[in-house]
Amino acid sequence: MAGSGSDGRAERRSPGELEGEVLAALWATDEALTPAEVQAQIGGGLAYNTVHTILKRLYDKGLVLRDVDGRRGTYRPAKNAAELTAEAMHEALDRGPDPIAALQQFVTGLSSQEEVALRELLSGDGP
Amino acid sequence: MRIDVYIPLVLSLLLPAVAPQVGRRVSPAPAARVLAVAAVLTAAASTWALLLLSATLVDAAPPVAAEAAEHGRRLPEPVPETIACVALTILGMVTVRLIGVIRAHFATRRVLKRLCEGHPPDSELIVTTYPAPRAFAIPGTPGRILVTAAMFGALDPAERRVMLAHERAHLTHRHSALSTAVTVAAAANPLLAPVRTTVTFLLERWADEEAADVVGDRHITARALARAALVSQRARPDSALHFSDHAVTRRIAALQTAPPPTLWPIGAAVLALGALPALGAIDATGDLLSLLAQALPG
Repeated sequence: MAGSGSDGRAERRSPGELEGEVLAALWATDEALTPAEVQAQIGGGLAYNTVHTILKRLYDKGLVLRDVDGRRGTYRPAKNAAELTAEAMHEALDRGPDPIAALQQFVTGLSSQEEVALRELLSGDGP
Repeated sequence: MRIDVYIPLVLSLLLPAVAPQVGRRVSPAPAARVLAVAAVLTAAASTWALLLLSATLVDAAPPVAAEAAEHGRRLPEPVPETIACVALTILGMVTVRLIGVIRAHFATRRVLKRLCEGHPPDSELIVTTYPAPRAFAIPGTPGRILVTAAMFGALDPAERRVMLAHERAHLTHRHSALSTAVTVAAAANPLLAPVRTTVTFLLERWADEEAADVVGDRHITARALARAALVSQRARPDSALHFSDHAVTRRIAALQTAPPPTLWPIGAAVLALGALPALGAIDATGDLLSLLAQALPG
């Protein structure tokens, strides 16, 4: 499912985009992931070696942490900077008029009828 | 002068009237561009027209009037003084609004700078543990994408790719510049507020289309939007109010049909609609200058 329509597209993604996708996969779950698990998540025909290289680069930047569990290494996201940003966001958003509202948000609010319609759209689709 | 000066003001009513139609029929990228250009031209022209109207008050200024009386000259009065006074008042309000927009812009920039603190400068994606699902693009060089962990957790891998591609499209096509342009235009000319709404919507549509292109699947793109909207709704503290501009539903509906055509003739017509007020303002300027030259000989 994840790979549908995206096979062979990995080559077109820039290193920055790939880093983003790997990081997104690690943040999406509470568990630490092995490079193979990350590879399975991302799909799009990305080579194992590429995933490994990206994880190494993210590790060097201090964005992911590596747990050595026996012979397998697993990766999870580093939370320091993420928590710092969350604090800054709380401060900015609690202070009254939302200074971020002016930015292009991915999604905006829904009415209750719209909510029902969207739920139907998703359930017609399977999980 | 008597007529030209009002052209920008009258045409400010026409552009908001056609903007939603253009937004519905034309592909979002060209539609957003031409509407933004037309809005900026119209706003500049209408502000200039207000300036010209206010400038006609110069002949009521005591030194000018006294000098004219002394030389037995009749001062031309191209517009009634009441209109000139109204124009001056509106001009004052416009100035206050523009200052407000500029202040808000810099306040946002300061907040965004803080949000990026602590993250390596060469990584595009900024993830935060902020508990509500949110995602937005942070303009700049380089631009960055901020996503909360809660948003990632709610989406499947393909949907995450849609969201990242959507935000990246905002950055690569400098949507923040277009958005700022129409915000300033709407501040300078409140009649243009609907154009701003249309352009804001079109920028989202544009990013949706680009994301659909990148993942190669309009259906997955629509699903990503639906999922993100639903989780965001649940997390919203004021969700009981169910505020909606129907933007998400309309964006999803648009993704379920074929991409709209470019339709350059309509684009050209919109640009002309933006150029006309500018021409009217230029013509009125010439007229006023020659009137002033008569009234105030060297």
